[in-house]
Amino acid sequence: MIEKGKISSLHLAMMMYPTILGTAVLVLPGMMAKYAKNDLWLSSILASLAGFLTVYIASRLHRLFPKETIIQYSQRILGTFAGKTLGFIYLFFYVHLTGIITREYADFIISMFLPLTPISVVITSMLLVAAMAVWGGVEVVGRTAVVFFPVFTIPLVFFVILVYTDLNPRNLLPVMEHGIIPVIKGALMPETWFSEFFLMSFFLPMLTDSEKGMKWGMASVTGVALTMVLINLVTLFLLGQEITTFTYPLMEVARYISIADFFENLQSVVMMLWVLGAFVKISVFFYAVALGTGQWLNLSDYRPLVLPLGFLVFLFSLWDLPNLSVLAHFQEKVGPYYLTSIQIVIPLLLLLIAVVRRRSRKAKEADRR
Amino acid sequence: MKRVLLASAVCLTVLLACGCWDRTEVNDLALVMAAAIDKKEGNRIELSVEIFLPRSQRGGGISGMGGEQGGAKGGGKATLVRSAEGVNIADALARLQEEVPRKIRWGHCKVYIFGEETAKAGIFEKVDFFQRHPEVRTRAYVYVSKGNASRILEVLPPLERDSGEVIRELSKLHVGMGVTILDLKQMLRGEGGAVALPMVDILSPRKGQHELETAPYLFGTAVFKKDKMIGRITQNETRGVMWLKNEIRNATVTVKEEEFEGSVSFHQIRATTKLTPKIERGKWKMHVEVKAEGDMVQNGTVLNPVRPEILGKMEKAFKDEIQNQLETALRTVQKKMKADIFGFAEEFHRKYPKQWHQVKDQWDDVYPKVEVTIDIKAHIRSPGAATHPAGIPEQEVKQE
Repeated sequence: MIEKGKISSLHLAMMMYPTILGTAVLVLPGMMAKYAKNDLWLSSILASLAGFLTVYIASRLHRLFPKETIIQYSQRILGTFAGKTLGFIYLFFYVHLTGIITREYADFIISMFLPLTPISVVITSMLLVAAMAVWGGVEVVGRTAVVFFPVFTIPLVFFVILVYTDLNPRNLLPVMEHGIIPVIKGALMPETWFSEFFLMSFFLPMLTDSEKGMKWGMASVTGVALTMVLINLVTLFLLGQEITTFTYPLMEVARYISIADFFENLQSVVMMLWVLGAFVKISVFFYAVALGTGQWLNLSDYRPLVLPLGFLVFLFSLWDLPNLSVLAHFQEKVGPYYLTSIQIVIPLLLLLIAVVRRRSRKAKEADRR
Repeated sequence: MKRVLLASAVCLTVLLACGCWDRTEVNDLALVMAAAIDKKEGNRIELSVEIFLPRSQRGGGISGMGGEQGGAKGGGKATLVRSAEGVNIADALARLQEEVPRKIRWGHCKVYIFGEETAKAGIFEKVDFFQRHPEVRTRAYVYVSKGNASRILEVLPPLERDSGEVIRELSKLHVGMGVTILDLKQMLRGEGGAVALPMVDILSPRKGQHELETAPYLFGTAVFKKDKMIGRITQNETRGVMWLKNEIRNATVTVKEEEFEGSVSFHQIRATTKLTPKIERGKWKMHVEVKAEGDMVQNGTVLNPVRPEILGKMEKAFKDEIQNQLETALRTVQKKMKADIFGFAEEFHRKYPKQWHQVKDQWDDVYPKVEVTIDIKAHIRSPGAATHPAGIPEQEVKQE
């Protein structure tokens, strides 16, 4: 195996949590509310089903091929040529996605805090830091995520407490005014975020206690779903139908906080959340890309690939998306098909093929005896 | 060697922490404390801003500013007002920047005032600026001024740092409505299609004082239909509106009745209002439930409030007065102006989504016919720090 480091399944869960929520906290409530209106919290619960399914598929595949990632076992399931092709698709997909995420991160920083700074500077600095973590190996990526986990979660809880007096829970009503269809439509986008749980398949072979991988994976999905519901409810209770008019609703919540006229303007806390979450997210994606490429090329070490791949991610982040509207369009119209097919549908097919083959092989062996 | 490198690398990160291209120094910023938007000829607008003056920049004050008192704090004005014209706010802001040597910053602006003419012409387009500009705070308060808005900024209130601060503090005291940008946006997009914004005017200066040495005050409420102002209700009617919107926090209710031969005042301690919509046999009804609790602050009658029977009578008078305020507000706003600033539409929508969608387009016709029933539970918690009415011989105090 290329990676010598080990992490525990608890670390994995704490790593996946900001990986999913990192970019979801800011943009998702607005996007979901566009379709689901005041039922957006139901949408996030519905979407979490995709997360549970993804974790289940990843863990089942892992049980069949305990020491390998999807780049390797796809060759075993489909044969060398088809497997390598699929592996390439995966690598391309994750490089592309890392680029988009980096761009999403940078767009927020540029539009809200550093309008004059060139976007390439923001992207490069983040990618260099992430590259350092990836260079350090899975233990560095995992541990930084664990260190940042409380720093990421505690402010979210604080927001709720601080803005409590301004909340209007009646915004929740009427529940499911137009039936279940808007809720399903609203669930399409968060579902793409939940499908990113498939990334844990790259980390499952490195667990010290891999039998607990699925359990902690499910716990992580639950945590993400609950946090999404919490954020959705807070933004809904404060902003009401106005949620849809804000690009970053949680940012508005933070700005609305005002305690005794001096404890206010907490947008820098949101910025901190965003930078930390994006860092964990980008480094986890980046790590998967680097490790996967190493395995795809049968190298003994993935480290020499980190900087070149980082450059590729940099280019994707700059070239792929001209502005925020295109990004929103991508997340809305392309994302649900693109991300779901690669992170849920293909792994599910692989799992089915692997199981069927194994059965038939066993049946043949039984016949021979 | 490695340590030296590491240490120098850590020190170098400080260079990155200063914000790169977006480094801004406080002394390059002009902090806007309040802004006013007025309508000018030919669809143009005038944007006036009140800019905070740092202490070192304050001059010796304007001459004739009330002699000994010497104007605002520190012997000089705390703020400076500048205006510019433009096609819209952003355009006017660009013109304004040409007059102000420092970068205009909106992050501290907590008060926005629309001139009466602007409000009558419509405010949709202006609100978009508030939402889109990343520095504008959604918690800032919005007002409509009587007449020109810029003159509100020009006065130099003796008690607060600037005039924007005065009206903001007034709103925070809940003596009138307090509407933030977020509330305004919610009302604009709301089902009721009506907006209420507090109005401000300037107190006429006391005799012998400089004409600018005065302060703005809350002067009723401007009522909008869609985004256009259609009229104004008095401060008294505003009270009723605030009761209905559950915004009453700080009220003194004075009751004057024949039966008591004098007036009694109660100070509101706690008050909640609950709106319950009902549709009975096709009739749309709104049940208003008010719970009020207060202390007596002045007793101008000869009655002894310590006696339970008398207190009961007073409670009833207290209740009637609140009812009266509510009815006055309803009469003007619901029947005459036909503007749903109470949020009745939202209440119906929440409880009866199906029926709501049928009348949604005719809400303007349905709303004035909504039958409002009022149920008030008023409670006098204590007669204050006194028992008998003051200054009356004990035998003259009526016990019943």
